[in-house]
Amino acid sequence: MSADDLILTNVTKRFGGLVAVDNLSLTVQKGQIYGLIGPNGAGKTTVFNCITGIHPCEEGSIIWKGQEIRLLPTHKIVRMGIVRTFQTIRLFSQMSVAENVMSGRHIKSAQKLWHGIIHTPWSRKDEHKNWEVVFELLEFFDLTKYATAPVGSLSYGIQRRVEMARAMAVEPQLLILDEPAAGLNDNETQALIRTIYRIREKGITILLIEHDMDLVMEVTEYLTVINFGSKIAEGTPAEVQSNPAVIEAYLGSEDDDF
Amino acid sequence: MDIFLQQLVNGLTIGSMFALIALGYTMVYGVMKLINFAHGDLVAGSAFVGLFVFSELLGGQISFAVVLGVFALTIILISLLGFTVERLAYRPLRNAPRLSAVVSALGASMVIQNGIMLIWGPQMRIFPELIPTIIWDIGGVVVSLIQVLIMVLSMLLMVGLYFFVEKTKIGTAIRASAIDQDAARLMGINVNNIIVTIFIIGSSLGAVGGLFIGLYYRGITFNMGWQYGLYAFVAAIMGGIGNIPGAMLGGILLGLFNAFIAGYISSTWSDAFTFILLIVILIVRPTGILGERVAEKV
Amino acid sequence: MMKKIQHIGYPLFFIVMALLPAFLDSRWLAVATTFVIFTIVALSQDIVLGKAGMFNMGQALFFGLGAYTTAICNSVLHIPLLYTLPLAIIIPAVFGILLAGPIIHLRGDYLLVVTIGFNIVFVQAVQNNLGGITGGPNGIFGLEMLEFPGFSAFQEYTPYFTALLALLVTLVVLRNLETSKVGRALHYLREDDLAAGSVGINTRIYKIFSFSLGAGIAGMAGTIYANQYSAVSPEAFDFIQSVLFFSIVIVGGSSVPGILLGVFVMFVLPEIFREFATWRYFIFGFAMIFTMILRPRGIWPAQFGRIPKAFIHRGE
Ligand SMILES: Nc1ncnc2c1ncn2[C@@H]1O[C@H](COP(=O)(O)OP(=O)(O)OP(=O)(O)O)[C@@H](O)[C@H]1O
Ligand SMILES: [Mg+2]
Repeated sequence: MSADDLILTNVTKRFGGLVAVDNLSLTVQKGQIYGLIGPNGAGKTTVFNCITGIHPCEEGSIIWKGQEIRLLPTHKIVRMGIVRTFQTIRLFSQMSVAENVMSGRHIKSAQKLWHGIIHTPWSRKDEHKNWEVVFELLEFFDLTKYATAPVGSLSYGIQRRVEMARAMAVEPQLLILDEPAAGLNDNETQALIRTIYRIREKGITILLIEHDMDLVMEVTEYLTVINFGSKIAEGTPAEVQSNPAVIEAYLGSEDDDF
Repeated sequence: MDIFLQQLVNGLTIGSMFALIALGYTMVYGVMKLINFAHGDLVAGSAFVGLFVFSELLGGQISFAVVLGVFALTIILISLLGFTVERLAYRPLRNAPRLSAVVSALGASMVIQNGIMLIWGPQMRIFPELIPTIIWDIGGVVVSLIQVLIMVLSMLLMVGLYFFVEKTKIGTAIRASAIDQDAARLMGINVNNIIVTIFIIGSSLGAVGGLFIGLYYRGITFNMGWQYGLYAFVAAIMGGIGNIPGAMLGGILLGLFNAFIAGYISSTWSDAFTFILLIVILIVRPTGILGERVAEKV
Repeated sequence: MMKKIQHIGYPLFFIVMALLPAFLDSRWLAVATTFVIFTIVALSQDIVLGKAGMFNMGQALFFGLGAYTTAICNSVLHIPLLYTLPLAIIIPAVFGILLAGPIIHLRGDYLLVVTIGFNIVFVQAVQNNLGGITGGPNGIFGLEMLEFPGFSAFQEYTPYFTALLALLVTLVVLRNLETSKVGRALHYLREDDLAAGSVGINTRIYKIFSFSLGAGIAGMAGTIYANQYSAVSPEAFDFIQSVLFFSIVIVGGSSVPGILLGVFVMFVLPEIFREFATWRYFIFGFAMIFTMILRPRGIWPAQFGRIPKAFIHRGE
């Protein structure tokens, strides 16, 4: 166990009477590509919402870098190096691709509030430096040619890439992806897999939710399977694949992705 | 103690009127998520239309039948106006950005308010004394027939509305559309018809509210819609906008609060205190007293 | 093409505006001054409403706060008008923070009603002569004139040119805002509050900042307004005024040209067509409805955000 692990212990999240996450524990180790899977409505996204502070959980603990982050607001958790993408893409749709990615530079820029009123040579340099980073990232994600296009006008696959580029602009240590392959065609999915590996090469831990089992089996190193909010299995993809409880959960829910 | 009871009666009277008007705001907001700024001006319009119907159409002689006629005709005319506003100013903007619809609503409000002024003039008009001034003195507390009528009729209308919304098929459709328009549409509900229905119901209740204002205060001005509309809207927000019992509760509460401020402090500060109360309520409960807090799904 | 117009547009606008007084009599000079002042207020409203997307319908409060700060400092404390300016910016800006702080988390329409409420409380407080210094319903009059050392011969033009200078300052601030991290943060949170939080933006701070900046600029306009009339009175800051500023920003499309046009239509046209004065709001009402139906994003929709020129060529 290293200090940079993400450790969830007995996390429970309720919405009114519904227990969306039930007493869930899991540990994501530094450098891992970790998968969280389960049938529709199992509570996967809710786990991500708990980790990122969007819907703080009522019980349990979430430790990151040795610190309890359960009740921290989202923006503080981001500052600690955890960044996410959304299942239903959430981009700033009227703005250009480059500006969307630039939003990820927010916490990396040291500009103060008053620089919004008066510019200084230093603040201009800071702007320039961050735009440089943005255009490097656009290159990395093969988005340069869309830099000035309003993001809302682009195809689904490109929007997914923009969302990942935006997350990467924050320079996270833990990247959380909620169904990154949803809505992508085969080519795009293959490109995504390559991208995920390239991101990992930078030493970034990845935690992802995915329904595309081929992708999950190929890229993840460790998996947790949940159903009705609680864990039903965990292990390497091979172990999980042959676990009867998992097969039961997926067959029972008539989800034929598996 | 006398002041207390007296202000209780006065507060319940104004509160009933606020509640009636607030219902129009809250029902429209519930389904369309839009502040119908024109509603207050429909209320003001109702008082003027009532005056017009009485003196020009029904001959100006008071009788029970004439009073009924004034109410009936005014309600019909104001509902028609509400219907027109929805068609002209709101329906074309159903899919537009939220703020555009807000500005269109403000525009509709200006049109009606200034329409009243252009027709009936900028000066204060006196509403006819349709209900005889009968006053009872109950141990120092003065209660008038008009007050009793306002309270009883408002109560009946609100109970009626409550059962309509909770127990009938149309009511169920209204509630379904308020929760999720798209889902309601998929279930075969014609949301456009529902919106027309709530505009007609809301405008009718507002029309009654406007006539009550005329009967109770007597002096009516073309721009009073903003004043009463704002109070009623505040009542709707206090109760939790979109929530029908919330609007009733908010209205009564605000009426009482205002009456007690007027009785114990000074009416020159009543607006300020009203808004301070609203702000305090919203700080404690950001979605109003009965409004539910929903966690956004992501 | 559009870019070209914008490039020559601003210098041209200021040159025309600077020469304008030579052709105006005193009545029209006053109209022109009011036009410039209200433009500043509408632009300050745009920071909160257009840029940050918060439903603020109480901007006249900050405008009034600035005007009253100047008036009270001048009439009670006898501070020369020019020196009241910093206070007339700072006090509204601080009020912006104090008022926005507790309510900033409210959802759109709730915020709208609360800001109307602030405006109404302000006007009622001033009308009731709070603290005995606001002059009650009549306001405060007989203020001194703005005086710039060395320019006393041009007394009658000072309000106009101070207003124009203030407009220039406002436009520079707006441009700086647009091309900074802060301005972008406002755009992000307007488009998607939750997504903005998810890239680490402390949206609360930026929302409060936008209120405060808008309030400071409106306060500055307030000083010039007080100077123009040598007086302040409560009804000039009524919430109906806020409603007008709100509508101007949205109808204009939250862009500088759109706002200029909006202010012109709302406040200058009625001066030209005085015989239609009673029809004014009736016509405006229809105009608002039809503009929104025909152009839901406003007459001249703002182009949001900017990529610096040095980078733009890399795209495409
Ligand atoms: N904000 C919310 N308010 C109320 N209930 C919610 C909310 N978010 C999620 N839920 C409920 O919690 C349960 C788990 O939802 P969640 O979105 O976490 O599932 P999921 O595993 O991500 O499913 P999917 O594969 O369909 O994305 C569901 O029953 C859902 O309806
Ligand atoms: Mg999900």
